[in-house]
Amino acid sequence: MNESLKSEGKHMSGNNETATASGAPQSMAPQKSLLAKLGLDRFSALYLWGAFMVIFGLWKTDTFLSVASVKLIAGENVAVGILALAFLIPFCASTFDLSIGAVMSLSVVITCFLSDEKSRSFNMPVGYAALIAVLACTCVGVVSGFVVVKLKVNSFIATLGIGQVVSAIVLKLSFNRQITGTFSSTFERFGRGDILGIPVVFYYLAVLGIICWFVLEHTPIGRYIYATGGNPEAARLAGLRTDRIMWGSLIASSFLAGVAGVVLSAKVGLFTSATGPNYLFPAIAAVFFGASQLKGRPNVGGTFIALYALAFGIKGLQLVVGTDSYWVNPMFQGTTLIIAVALASQRGVAKIRKRKAAASA
Amino acid sequence: MTKILQIFSLSKTFPGQVALDNATFDVEEGEVHALVGQNGSGKSTLIKVLAGFHQPDPGHHVTMRDEIFAMGDAQAAAAAGIRFVHQDLGLVEAVSAVENLALGFGYRTGFAKRIKWREETKRAQKALSDLGFDINVRVPVAALGGAARTGVAIARALQDAEQNISILVLDEPTASLPGADVDRLFEAVRRLKARGISVVFVSHHLEEVFEIADRVTVLRDAKVVATRNTSELDMPTLIELIVGHKVTAATVNREVDASLAPRLQVTGLSGLGLDDVSFDVRPGEVLGVAGLTGSGRDTLIPSLSGAIDRLGEVAIDGKALKSADPGAAISAGMAFVPADRLRNGIIALMSVRSNTTIANVKRNKTGLRLNHKKEKAETREWIDRLSVVTTGSEAPISTLSGGNQQKVMMSRSFRLEPRVLLLDEPTQGVDIGAKEEIHTFVDSAAATGSAVVVASTDSAELARLCDRVIVMHRGAIVDTVLRNAGTGAGSMAERIDQVLLAGSSLVAHK
Repeated sequence: MNESLKSEGKHMSGNNETATASGAPQSMAPQKSLLAKLGLDRFSALYLWGAFMVIFGLWKTDTFLSVASVKLIAGENVAVGILALAFLIPFCASTFDLSIGAVMSLSVVITCFLSDEKSRSFNMPVGYAALIAVLACTCVGVVSGFVVVKLKVNSFIATLGIGQVVSAIVLKLSFNRQITGTFSSTFERFGRGDILGIPVVFYYLAVLGIICWFVLEHTPIGRYIYATGGNPEAARLAGLRTDRIMWGSLIASSFLAGVAGVVLSAKVGLFTSATGPNYLFPAIAAVFFGASQLKGRPNVGGTFIALYALAFGIKGLQLVVGTDSYWVNPMFQGTTLIIAVALASQRGVAKIRKRKAAASA
Repeated sequence: MTKILQIFSLSKTFPGQVALDNATFDVEEGEVHALVGQNGSGKSTLIKVLAGFHQPDPGHHVTMRDEIFAMGDAQAAAAAGIRFVHQDLGLVEAVSAVENLALGFGYRTGFAKRIKWREETKRAQKALSDLGFDINVRVPVAALGGAARTGVAIARALQDAEQNISILVLDEPTASLPGADVDRLFEAVRRLKARGISVVFVSHHLEEVFEIADRVTVLRDAKVVATRNTSELDMPTLIELIVGHKVTAATVNREVDASLAPRLQVTGLSGLGLDDVSFDVRPGEVLGVAGLTGSGRDTLIPSLSGAIDRLGEVAIDGKALKSADPGAAISAGMAFVPADRLRNGIIALMSVRSNTTIANVKRNKTGLRLNHKKEKAETREWIDRLSVVTTGSEAPISTLSGGNQQKVMMSRSFRLEPRVLLLDEPTQGVDIGAKEEIHTFVDSAAATGSAVVVASTDSAELARLCDRVIVMHRGAIVDTVLRNAGTGAGSMAERIDQVLLAGSSLVAHK
């Protein structure tokens, strides 16, 4: 009896294959809108980036389009970029880590604190200080993982709480004062030099980004992370250790936040209590905006594109507004994030409608 | 009888696909009219066009009470007294029946817009008792049983009684209901019929069609194949109409080698709804688990697989498994297909490929890297082997029909080459063609020496698949039905049903 059914199935898939071959997957060819053809849905951040380059390039040609400002933007956003990776990894497993801003502060404070010869008697070589800072941050991830997995506190709440506790430690260590690290010139070269005309810190971001991309897209672990994010119970019943995956993703995010802190110390060498929180939002914005890019799920490439599209936009606007531009950053971050996610959900809605139409056929 | 709704030459074309081709359909006053067909045969399209969710192609001719009726218009359908209860019911689970009824109609309010709760409660109680449900209307709907929930949805659909309700469409109302609840629902349907309301009833369960429907319309490949009186039909003919060719129930000629040591040993298993259950399954043997909902049949597979906690020992080839650890069970050679595919099975956002390989991703690894090419090739093999209807290995699994999703679940388990295979309601919400393919697949699993356990509410399915069926009641095994004790699959199903019905008295004997 299976014969006719099988041939039916083959017949159908045969049809679809021809559709795919003619360059129109999902057999939705006739309905494909102009918007979809231009890739405005999946590449909106790239278009936005291009628009910023043109608008601000024409407006502020000498300042905005200079090599110096491109270099500045590339280097300035490295810490945010690493923090975005830190947010991205647990986010792929549907786990929030909102403590990363505070954890990055912790890393900066520990690095400065341990290596600063004026403030205390530690006066440690800065390399060790940085290592201890990253380790301490990783431990924070172990604790958040414990709270989320073992105490079964919702990750949003858990990491918000942990973030506050870490902030308290940061304030205690820094006496709520500005701390300036006096680092060796070697360490500063790690943060402030150029290689081939590109800020050295940008390479760190690139390397970390490539590692995260490889792990998420090309290893079983990445598959486990996305599966856990997609349907935790089904993933557990497929034999995945979803607890360990969530826990591990939180450890990874805290580790990355710690690295972000060390890079920031090397680059800026300065801590104020406002440092961490100011970096958290742009990182989250890049991940959320990036999730609508390229693949329709959170991903490294989309995150980076979104990050730099937003960064160039902000820089352009700051140049246009001039000296009075301190308010530009949050205003821009907030509005673009909402608009981007709104556009993405419009696309989602349209997709569901199409899918329903196809499924009911 | 008078025909109230008449549909002629109704078609619906989606890009690249004809979903409904020149369909003719009518509904008589006060009848129960069943609509059957395999997934993708066009029955949901017909319902959705009627509901105004889809626009039909031009060229149709539809009359409602002898007046031209605008198809594809939700308001016209509502005004004509056509009501729909969809499979997911659309209830707000966290609030009471009273509030769910008010969702569609609004509350009656008194002074300062105070809700007249007492009146509302009475109204809800009456609406439900008219359908034969005497339930507490003030508890959250989530706390009600399946039939009662469906009752609330029906009551809500019918409540604006000033309107003359003429047709109620029930889209797969019994898909997730246990047997006893189906009876209660049918009682409600009979009461509606007595009130002169016509009921259009969509179902995959053909025995239900014979039980409740006066007439049945069969769809196949987007066409209406036949509309018949159920009294003039029998099961084999109906199946033939649905599938398009004769179906002969495959009989299994399988000899279980009794000299082999048991592969799966369960000793003193207790846990959610289970009380000291012990049994063995030999290599190549298929053991069935029958029982009503709450008998332990529904929690046995989750307990064995480690989805939920258990007491007692579960061992594969003499090696005991850790409790509540599906990962450890899989490493020990177990594979399982859980019931409730959407919640426990598929990962909706992922592709067919990722869903197929998720239980063992590492197999397609070269070095550190996942070999996507190899993985795609392996997935395509599984798609061919189980004739999964999909656009390819990269299609999101949510675009597949239920039966095809279930086949992907089967591939996921089967590619682990399990020593023990556990299947919980393996063909729930699956159409007849896919069902038989899944059954053939279970046969082949047994043939390779797996010990298979199948829990099912469908006695015919158990008779088709199993060498031995244990029947559960109140958490314990009350009887065992063997294949070879009778003559064929039919009589085995009957014997299972007999034991199921006699379940309580058997316990009393003990």
